[in-house]
Amino acid sequence: MTDYSKDYSKDFPILEKEIYGKRLVYLDNAATSQKPDSVIRTLSEFYRSDNSNIHRGVHYLSEISSERYEKARAKVSDFIGADDPGEVTFTAGTTDSINQVACSLKPILEGNEVLISGVEHHSNIVPWQLAGAKLRAIPMDEDCNLLPDSIEITDRTKMIAISHASNVLGSVNPVKEITEIAKEHDVPVLVDAAQSIQHLPIDVRDIGCDFLAFSGHKMYAATGVGVLYTSERFSDIMPSRGGGGMIDRVTLERTTYLKPPLRFEAGTPHIAGAISIGAAIDYMQNIGMDHIRKREHEVYSYAREKLLGTDGVTVYGNTDLMCGSISFNLDEIHHYDTGLILDKLGIAVRTGHHCAQPLMRTLGTEGTVRASFALYNTKEDADRLLEGMEKVRMMYA
Amino acid sequence: MRDAVQDEIIEQFGGLEWLDRYSLLISFGRELEPMDEKFRTEENSIGGCQSKAWVRAYEVDGRLMFNADSEAMITRGIISLLLKVVNNRSPREILDLDLYFLDEIGLKSNLSPARADGLASIIRRIRELAEGEVN
Repeated sequence: MTDYSKDYSKDFPILEKEIYGKRLVYLDNAATSQKPDSVIRTLSEFYRSDNSNIHRGVHYLSEISSERYEKARAKVSDFIGADDPGEVTFTAGTTDSINQVACSLKPILEGNEVLISGVEHHSNIVPWQLAGAKLRAIPMDEDCNLLPDSIEITDRTKMIAISHASNVLGSVNPVKEITEIAKEHDVPVLVDAAQSIQHLPIDVRDIGCDFLAFSGHKMYAATGVGVLYTSERFSDIMPSRGGGGMIDRVTLERTTYLKPPLRFEAGTPHIAGAISIGAAIDYMQNIGMDHIRKREHEVYSYAREKLLGTDGVTVYGNTDLMCGSISFNLDEIHHYDTGLILDKLGIAVRTGHHCAQPLMRTLGTEGTVRASFALYNTKEDADRLLEGMEKVRMMYA
Repeated sequence: MRDAVQDEIIEQFGGLEWLDRYSLLISFGRELEPMDEKFRTEENSIGGCQSKAWVRAYEVDGRLMFNADSEAMITRGIISLLLKVVNNRSPREILDLDLYFLDEIGLKSNLSPARADGLASIIRRIRELAEGEVN
């Protein structure tokens, strides 16, 4: 039997920290993950020895940094099962990726409809509204399981944009089933993988989506960098922004653009950040995505079952497959109070609406306490959370 | 300038561990008179915080009285302390007040606008309401 108890926290320098005299239990990974030593070293060494702009220089350093940047792109492409690195664009993050798609497709979306789920983060709601589209949510049951059989696609449905995993509930949406239905109607699908890329093996060919968006910083890489996968069939869409590095020929009358990925990367990208994504992928692949999935599942299920078995705790959402986040509330105690007290016990959680106000309304709450797990969290961390909650309750007794 | 009400609060909290400070805030929060539903209006609400909060002021003989509330109990506790300090003063006095007790009992970080409890906004609103009376 595989041993899933290995302690990966040793790879993450920040996790040695004590907060208010207690070992830090970091359970705010859905907001951002901590960085392994290998990623931190990659970032620092890049600036120390290879820093230069890419694709433009004739000089040695520029060649090195261009090569490292493109190598990172190839790693991402391989990691998500893309057909070609040309389908991988580096962006500023998930929000930026989704905004770019919405902006590029605005002429098609305007006045039409985008289907989303009822568990979406605002970053998969607002960009479509800005593009002038109307939003409609795919129905879900009371446990927040999406019901793909109830999807209604009309002539006006121009996009289906779905989170792979909910940042609030940890529920995993049936994205493959949804893309299969979308294909029958020739509607493109964007998958927001911000909350799944670090937890589950992902293969865009298997999912069959046209776009996939995720952030570096939630998968152990730098902040300010992310990825947009654009399938070959959308390679000729108009870029949402223009500038240097993405043009074929510019005249004052007319400009022609390069092919992807450079077509979608105007200006100097976050070079070090992109390279850090490559380093983070190396780190995760060394452990193995399947191993990460199983190990996390053990810790996640342990925490969830303990929470479900605790009197006076409401746990939100319950789907067949779950990962990352667990949202809950202590009955009669405001989520903000719970979070403040847990903080003083060295336990970092997030509280509030988690940028998912429509979901909060569905759940009938203003906010929740969210504990979100990463590969370095252990059952001991879950126990500390439970002990902390008991402490909170005692303080209110 | 030192202020007797604030000094008394500081003495109560002095030397307490964090959790004891929070326990004390929870008990103060429980004692705070809840704001009447009819005053929990959009106009009195403080935006941008995780726990909804409301502030209103009324005048009694040239002195301002504040009524404030929050959904979160620890925030209510802090509000309760704040009201002990600002209530029953002239608008000018309120504007001149240095709320040093928050710093001295370890709640200074709660004053940062980045914090989600809206305490900074509540204090700003109290000052605005006092300013309105001065002008």
